[in-house]
Amino acid sequence: MFTVKDYRDALAEGYLLASKCRRCGAVQLPPRPICPKCGSGDLEAFKAPKRGRVAAYTVIHVPPSRFKGEEPYAVAIVELLEGVRVSGRMLDVSEADLRVGLEVEADFIKLGEEPLLCFRPLKHP
Amino acid sequence: MGLQRGVAIIGAGMTRFHHKIHADKTGRDLFVEAALEAMASVDNGIELGDIEALFIGNFSSDSFEHQGHVAALMADWLGLTPRAATRIEAACGSSGAALNIGVMAIASGLYDVVMVGGVEKMRTLTTEEVTDVLAMASDEVYEAAVGFTFPGLYAAMATAHFHRYGSTWEQLCAVSIKNHHNGSLNPKAQFQEEVIDIARRLGERRGMTFRDEMEFLRSPLNPVVAYPLRLFDCCPISDGAAAVIMASEEAARRFTDTPIYVRGIGQASDAMALHDREDLTTIRATRLAAQQAYRMAGLGPEDIDVADVHDCFTIAEVVATEDLGFFPKGEGGKAAEEGRTSLEGDKPINPDGGLKAKGHPVGATGAAMAYEMFKQLRGEADKRQVPDAEVGLIHNVGASGATVVVQIYGR
Repeated sequence: MFTVKDYRDALAEGYLLASKCRRCGAVQLPPRPICPKCGSGDLEAFKAPKRGRVAAYTVIHVPPSRFKGEEPYAVAIVELLEGVRVSGRMLDVSEADLRVGLEVEADFIKLGEEPLLCFRPLKHP
Repeated sequence: MGLQRGVAIIGAGMTRFHHKIHADKTGRDLFVEAALEAMASVDNGIELGDIEALFIGNFSSDSFEHQGHVAALMADWLGLTPRAATRIEAACGSSGAALNIGVMAIASGLYDVVMVGGVEKMRTLTTEEVTDVLAMASDEVYEAAVGFTFPGLYAAMATAHFHRYGSTWEQLCAVSIKNHHNGSLNPKAQFQEEVIDIARRLGERRGMTFRDEMEFLRSPLNPVVAYPLRLFDCCPISDGAAAVIMASEEAARRFTDTPIYVRGIGQASDAMALHDREDLTTIRATRLAAQQAYRMAGLGPEDIDVADVHDCFTIAEVVATEDLGFFPKGEGGKAAEEGRTSLEGDKPINPDGGLKAKGHPVGATGAAMAYEMFKQLRGEADKRQVPDAEVGLIHNVGASGATVVVQIYGR
């Protein structure tokens, strides 16, 4: 059974841990103990792709206390596979360039001791 | 599924919602004030002894006031002990969820008369600390930890909605301007001032003049909170309480000739994290809760004369009016811009000013919506009265949509 720690350990190691239901094939990111689609507990781990597109975003100007001083900072919901999304911090992008559909790639940094999932715009050669 | 017996609201009361005037009051002071007003509003009078149970919606008195176990506390302070008292927590949907439980408690036959209320005393903390507490209602591990705030989640919904439907921030402003207008007509509202009057007042202080509301709303006096949402897209931080008294249809007749009947109720949950929802432009729990309530009432969205919807942010009102079926998906912003949701429109929304202008002491909001419908459907809403309102709906959301409660009332 997957726990939050599994996902965070994976972040610290530089990948996105997801789960896939062996019964119905639904994918969960982060991984879950039970498939929300069919209720099965028979799930297998896999590494989610690092590249995706911004599905929604915001730029936080009034931060919570733990991120005070970092504002303004951008946060995005990124779609990595059809219907499979995750929230992460956006780096290296100006407010003007941030848009739905932007191609991004995951990066894994540390904020103090905590792993933080980030995304950066994909640089096309 | 239906109710085993009819349920009606026979009385309703609320404090004014405000960010300053309750500075010297605690949550219990506020709740007792609202509860006493609810009791005083019962046409034929009611005694404390008539109330058999208390259900209280409250999000986080623990964080705001260092006070847990508030249902028993409120029963104690109201003189209701030894009656059963229970706290219900569903973030900003706490007292909406309490309303549903109150209805079920009566419909089951267990009680004939109950009080359902909500209370939140938030202004004990700074804005930053309140932001922290509210963010607890999102997914701590997967949303808050990467930097999402509450306004941020709704801001993300707005960008998805703008992208898919071509809706605009200007349409969101129409919601804010309309709700401030309605608030200006409501003596219980936190802000009883039109946006244009606020623009004039704040402008004078800084030697600035504004041609119209939009020029003000685009100015630095309306700073960005979480792009694309600015200050006037966000409900304020408020202190306040609200309470209603519910009775079985049969018991209600003893207390009043004009009870407001509960015609339908619904409630649904969804993925906690916004990113896990099927569609980022829809609150699915709203659609499902509304379906249940419409089915139970035997009514549809076209039958609703007036509605209080959960406009914690302007985009939330737009999305709600679509998901409740009042307007086609993607056209909620346009409808607001065209004035269709104003007091004079064909679908008046938030006649009390909504969360935006009336205020949003989070745990009290659902009960305050029921208060408003009690007034509207009895024709007691004074300057903000929707003419001939016979069927009303309330829509109360917990957090970014992981909990939604809908109730439909009729005369």
